[in-house]
Order: sequence, then C-alpha cells, then structure tokens
Amino acid sequence: MIEFRDVTFVHQNGVKALDGVSLRVEAGEFVALVGENGAGKTTLVKHVTGLLKPASGSVLVDGVDTREASTAQLSRKVGVAFQNPDHQLFSETVEEEMSFALRNFGFSPELVRNRVAWGLELFGLEEYRRSSPLVLSGGEKKRLTLACILAWDPQVVILDEPTVGQDAIQKERLAGTIQMLKSAGKTVLVVSHDIEFLWPIQPRVVVMKGGRVVGDGPSADLMQDRDLLGSARIAQPQLVEFYQALHRRPVAPFVHALDAARWAGETLQP
Amino acid sequence: MMWLSGGFIFRKGYSFYHRLDPRAKLLNSVLMFVTTLLARSVFEMVLVVAFMVGLSAAATVLKRVARTMAFTALFSGFIFVVNVLFTRDLETSVLYATRFIAIVVSTSIFFITTSPDELEQVMKMFRLPRDVVFAFVTAVRFIPVMMLDTIQIMDAQKSRGLELEKGNLVRRVRNMIPILIPLVVNSVVRSGELAEAMEARAYGAAPRPTSLLAYRARRVDIGVACASVALFALAAYSFYFVIPVQFP
Repeated sequence: MIEFRDVTFVHQNGVKALDGVSLRVEAGEFVALVGENGAGKTTLVKHVTGLLKPASGSVLVDGVDTREASTAQLSRKVGVAFQNPDHQLFSETVEEEMSFALRNFGFSPELVRNRVAWGLELFGLEEYRRSSPLVLSGGEKKRLTLACILAWDPQVVILDEPTVGQDAIQKERLAGTIQMLKSAGKTVLVVSHDIEFLWPIQPRVVVMKGGRVVGDGPSADLMQDRDLLGSARIAQPQLVEFYQALHRRPVAPFVHALDAARWAGETLQP
Repeated sequence: MMWLSGGFIFRKGYSFYHRLDPRAKLLNSVLMFVTTLLARSVFEMVLVVAFMVGLSAAATVLKRVARTMAFTALFSGFIFVVNVLFTRDLETSVLYATRFIAIVVSTSIFFITTSPDELEQVMKMFRLPRDVVFAFVTAVRFIPVMMLDTIQIMDAQKSRGLELEKGNLVRRVRNMIPILIPLVVNSVVRSGELAEAMEARAYGAAPRPTSLLAYRARRVDIGVACASVALFALAAYSFYFVIPVQFP
C-alpha cells in the first residue's frame, strides 16, 4: 500500500511541483497518473522510491516512511521503469544488464540465472542475450528496462511513459504484461499521456494539474468527464467521445465509409 | 552536484553587469586574472579577492560565486598542503592557494554572466574558426543538459539498488561505471544527432554566414572597459611601488 499524506515538494529553482497531494493506493491496485506536462506526475512517483523526499507531508510505502529509508531499500519493494531507457543501460550484454539489480540485491547466482532467463523469455529478448543493450532498437530497450525491473519481482511496479516509442503490437504486449501483473497481485502505477492505451485496461485514473490531484476515479466514469480532462489537457478516448456523440444526436444513415467519416467529423465537433 | 554547477553555468540575470557588452566583461575578467598573477603578498591577494566579491555582489551573482569558491577551495586546500610540504613557507602557501581561488573566480564571473550566444560573438570577434567556436559554445550550452542527464541516470541506477555512497574508495569508483557509461553514450549519440540536425539546416553551406546579433559598444560598456584598465593600472602600480613586500 502506498499513501501520500499532504505531500508538497518544491524544486531547487523554487517551482512547486507538488502542492498538498493526498492519495492512497491499495495493494494490488492499477492506477494511471495522467495530466499535462509539468503536472507533477513523475515527481510524484519519484517520491515512492525515495528519490525525492517531500518538503512537507509524508509518503508511506508498505507502512515505511520514505524519509527514513534509502532508495536502495525502497527499490527492493518498488521497481521503476523510467521514461528514457538510455538513462540506465550500460552493461556489456543484455544478460548482464538484467542481472545488475539482482546482484545489487544479493540474489544467489542460480536465482539470478533463473530470473534473467524468465525475463528474457517474457519480453522476447532471448536472441539478444549476448548482444550489447546499446545496439537494441528503442522499443527493445524499453522492453529490456521493464524486464530488468520485473526480474527482481517488486511488489510495486511503476512505469513512466511506457508506450513512448512502442508500435501497436508492442503496446498490446505491454497491456498484456500489465494485466499479468494485476493478476499476480502487483500494485501498478503507470504515468502516461496515452489515453487510448489506458482505456481498454480500465485503471483507476488520477488526474493531475499544477502539482495537485484534480480528479480520481475509475476510468469508466472519469473518462466521460470532458471538462475535467480538458482542463488537464487530456483528450477523451475516441470510443468515449464517439459514444457521447451518439447520445447527443440521432445516428445519421450512411452507406459508405466516407459518409460515416464525414458524419463523424460533423457530429464530433465540440 | 546541481548546487555546485550553479557556480559555473550561465543563468539569465538583469543586473548592470549582465547587460554589459560581453567584450567589456571579457576585458574585465582578463584584467582581474592578470591582477591575481601580479599580486605578490597575501594582503594584495585579499584586496583582489575583495574586489571580485564586491563585483559579484553588484552583479547579483555573489551566492553563485560563493559556490565556485566552495568548489575550488578543495583544490586550493591541496595546493596549500603541497606548498607547505615543499616550501615550508606558510605565507607563500596561502598566497598560492588564494591565487588559485581568485583565478577561478575571475573566469567564473565572466561565464556566469555571459550567455552562450554572447560567448559565441566574442569568440567570432577574435576570428577563431567557426567550427571551433561552434564546438566550444555547444559544449558550454550542453553542460546543464548533461547535469540533468547525470541526475536522471543516477536516479535510474539508484532505483535498481545501486548505492553510490556505500563502500570504500575503490567500490565507490566502481559504482560510478553505471553512471558514466550511459552519460558518455548519450553524449556521443546526442552529438551525432546534433551534427545531423545542423547539417539538415545548412550548417557549413556558406563560407561566411550572416549573424543575427551584432554588438555595438555603448557608453557604459566603454566606461566599464576604461575603468577596468584604470583599476588594473592602479593595482599593478600599487603592488610594485606602493605596498611593500617582504620576500622570504
């Protein structure tokens, strides 16, 4: 369980990134943090691993105050896949890259081998086992960073913009991985602008704006609130928008796909 | 690290010194630099440093210059210890240690009040090759970016259980490998991308490209330049003919 209690955080340049954020995420929940750039989403998740400490208020991870634990201690429970995979890849081979955290946490050599093999298979990276992680494509690097995190089986998994640079198939696989994590009882926090990716998975959605939480609820309800999403510069999922348009006007008869597109264009005008 | 970097990186400011022609600022910094070399006693060096501190306060960069001083104090301490060991002369050791701080501060004042654009113009004025100017100015411009990269890389590795502050010196140095490799690789990749982006925007197409900025010295710039020269002459004269120095 993760709990933010009236958390405020101010950057060195004086910008208030979080302003009295209170939020409770239960164990096993799947939460999506959405909001415009600079809303404080990444700053919020960095508090979970203790990379940032609150200026006031507190953050509790499994009952542990993050101010009283090191990032290394917290990261055993919390795995974060950051937005830019190039910020973490450094090893000579993909295999070594995956084992880095496991060795840091003191896993036995046998367990390291098993976990690495499991992660490589799960993310379809076995063929790159002996390759340098630096020569992988953007999507492969992203998958590798996720595999690196899941290898040590953290209780909480945080994904910062996981769909950036991923094609449609990879996004589908990622959605499948998230479903798998949900089934395994993991707490999953996803920071994303990709509403179309989040909508089918139906997470609990937390909308952030200017360092504050301005909306919190199940996606099925929250995604219908056009004004709220608009104020946080988020577009509604196309399906929800289409559904709402159908409710506003009677369906026009059309016989051709182009007619349908034209009709949708006229109907979906705000 | 970000705290220290504030002592060397330009940030927009609105003091009279920030608004000066970069050539006047460069002349002033060069003369301060030379003055530190002319100072022959601790008393003279203290005068020079006091002037720099006063100038920093007037330019509203005193806090950042203090960071420069704090950073250079580490190396300065090393210089002091080595000199004490080899010369066994306390005053000379203090002089050299203070001189090192003064030299760094004299250049730091110029860099933290002069934007990379202004720096580029100054370098062009000296008719340095365009590629050299571009490479130097780009390097300066990318320092804050690299600092940010470093922090993000450290965050990513700490999240994977890397403990940078633990262990003996050898282990701490080894722990820097996961930080340095992504940093170097990112820098190399970024420089390649930048080169492509520059070429895509016709870099190097014209032998003498036109310039957006053209500096014209104002009265205040000329006044500051003249005052710098006058102060330098006064300091040099005082150091050699007014203030007595006892050589060991």
